[in-house]
Amino acid sequence: MDCEMEKNSHDGVVVNGGNDGVLGLNAKRKMLIIDTDPGIDDSMAILMAFQNPEVDILGLTTVFGNVRTEDATRNALLLCEIAGCPSVPVVEGSHEPLTGGRPRVADFVHGSDGMGNIFLPPPKTEKSDKSASEFLVEKVSQYPGEVSILALGPLTNVALAIKRDSSFPSKVKKIVVLGGSFFALGNVNPAAEANIYGDPEAADVVFTSGANIVVVGINITTQVQMTDDDLLKLKQSNGKHAQLLSDMCKFYRDWHVKSDGVSGIFLHDPVSFVALVRPDLFTYKKGVVRVETQGICVGHTLLDQGLKKWNGSNPWTSYSPVSVAWTVDVDEVLNYVKRMLMKP
Amino acid sequence: MAAAAGEPKKIIIDTDPGIDDAMAIFVALRSPEVEVIGLTTIYGNVYTTLATRNALHLLEVADRTDIPVAEGSHVTITEGRKLRIADFVHGADGLGNQNFPPPEGKPIDMSATDFLVEQANLYPGKVTVVALGPLTNIALAIQQDPSFVKNIGQIVLLGGAFAVNGNVNPAAEANIFGDPDAADIVFTSGADVLAVGINVTHQVILTDSDRETLASSNGKFAQYLLKILEVYFNYHHDAYSTKGVYLHDPTAMLAAINPSLITYVEGAVRVQTNGITRGLTLLYNKQKRFAEITEWSDQPSVKVAVTVDAPAVLKLVLERLME
Repeated sequence: MDCEMEKNSHDGVVVNGGNDGVLGLNAKRKMLIIDTDPGIDDSMAILMAFQNPEVDILGLTTVFGNVRTEDATRNALLLCEIAGCPSVPVVEGSHEPLTGGRPRVADFVHGSDGMGNIFLPPPKTEKSDKSASEFLVEKVSQYPGEVSILALGPLTNVALAIKRDSSFPSKVKKIVVLGGSFFALGNVNPAAEANIYGDPEAADVVFTSGANIVVVGINITTQVQMTDDDLLKLKQSNGKHAQLLSDMCKFYRDWHVKSDGVSGIFLHDPVSFVALVRPDLFTYKKGVVRVETQGICVGHTLLDQGLKKWNGSNPWTSYSPVSVAWTVDVDEVLNYVKRMLMKP
Repeated sequence: MAAAAGEPKKIIIDTDPGIDDAMAIFVALRSPEVEVIGLTTIYGNVYTTLATRNALHLLEVADRTDIPVAEGSHVTITEGRKLRIADFVHGADGLGNQNFPPPEGKPIDMSATDFLVEQANLYPGKVTVVALGPLTNIALAIQQDPSFVKNIGQIVLLGGAFAVNGNVNPAAEANIFGDPDAADIVFTSGADVLAVGINVTHQVILTDSDRETLASSNGKFAQYLLKILEVYFNYHHDAYSTKGVYLHDPTAMLAAINPSLITYVEGAVRVQTNGITRGLTLLYNKQKRFAEITEWSDQPSVKVAVTVDAPAVLKLVLERLME
């Protein structure tokens, strides 16, 4: 998005002379709130979103996950500054999952600063006074049917928005969730993926809310990798944020070698952003998704594929289906991500 | 398949007959590679009392009343009495609502668990248990005799849904759902376990035209099965919109008889015992390294079937039942 043109434009103040062409452009731009715990791959996705002229970022809301929520807020403010959009609001979200307790923080993946231990100086701007759920409800109510949410961390803030306003699911345009692992291994343990594991109760609230939801699980995102060679090309490119991202990615890449034997990185969050702006690069399976909230498989996401007519009711019956990303055009998505990251 | 060289493999069939159980039992009795040394009974398709009655009845139909039947547990390993019984799949009598006369024989004066432990001790390393129902009896045997897991040759079980939806609900397969706690005990026991889940058995379908092939045989097993299969076909048609039936139990049986019909992977399997995904089976192939200790860490590996030579299984089932 172009931050200069952005100012006030979605409040109906027409800039650049207000000709029809500009209105037409504004009408096409997707209003987006990114709920995020930056995070190295979050940073990539966020900077990609800022580079995309079709996207109008209404704000970033923060949550724990890759880092603690306070650190996520600091990093979100930094990313807005780095993107040249310091006026985009950063709204701090919940510090803990719905049922309370200390959140699990994946500092061993993203470094203690969440940005691969590059320790940037603190941001100059400040977070908003609102809470994330308040902000989500406010924006979605202001532009019913127009605001999409890209949820890149545990779903606590989105669940709180749903609990705050029962009309939220019908007013939000679309929620694209990076989370879960469908008929595949998790990444926290064999049963669970990290974002869902971070707040399983919240995830179950969101998936069963009736909102228009697209879920991109790690069964999809782990198919899209940047190899060491790709990372080198990024470093050598004149992409606007190529140097910063290259620096951040070192720590992330080394963790992938240890954890998965992959000499490169998974593009979880960037792939989810692509699912928002280029949904045509994926196929989907529609069905009810529930999240286990107890026992050894806590955080497990389970989709009813609808292959069988069940005898009686079960915990999946009578909920609205969501769209689960089923296949991905790996080459096209990877090309899209690389193009965005290497954009001057 | 050539007859196995040397002595036939001794097998005990732990079963809840059940229409596909009946097929599996008949296939075993017609397979020279194995010697059926006993049937143990369990709830599942029917209650345990009826399973015992049906086991005795099936051995009478086969003229094999020399084979002992030992009655198994009537409750889950946690003493659960609210059992899920799949009479809507197999008929109220478990055998396609044919209302066969009661059997003349009686079960032996020994529990299924005692019988399993006794036979494993008698023939250490030589007995294969083919478990076609919930795993209560096997788990009880493991708890009763710490040496059972070493003495038993292999446990081939029909159960679980690995990386696919279940058949009781989206999470769980019926046999594991029947007693998830028992299943978790068996999977983590350290015994040589081969699990054949519905991800594999759903590939082996007896179609309408296969049923006609079966009807062309005058063999006694073929004729008997034709009678009881009607209910099973109707259920599959309603639940899955298929004109055919899944050969769950016969596939597991043939995997025990001839392991080359399947391929498998190895890893730790745990069973979820509570919550909405109760009965979920989750395999960890031990490839990815997790940052934290997990409930799968340090658990013994079991074998989980991943592919099956479905045409070969179907051909063998038909051949042996039509002889």
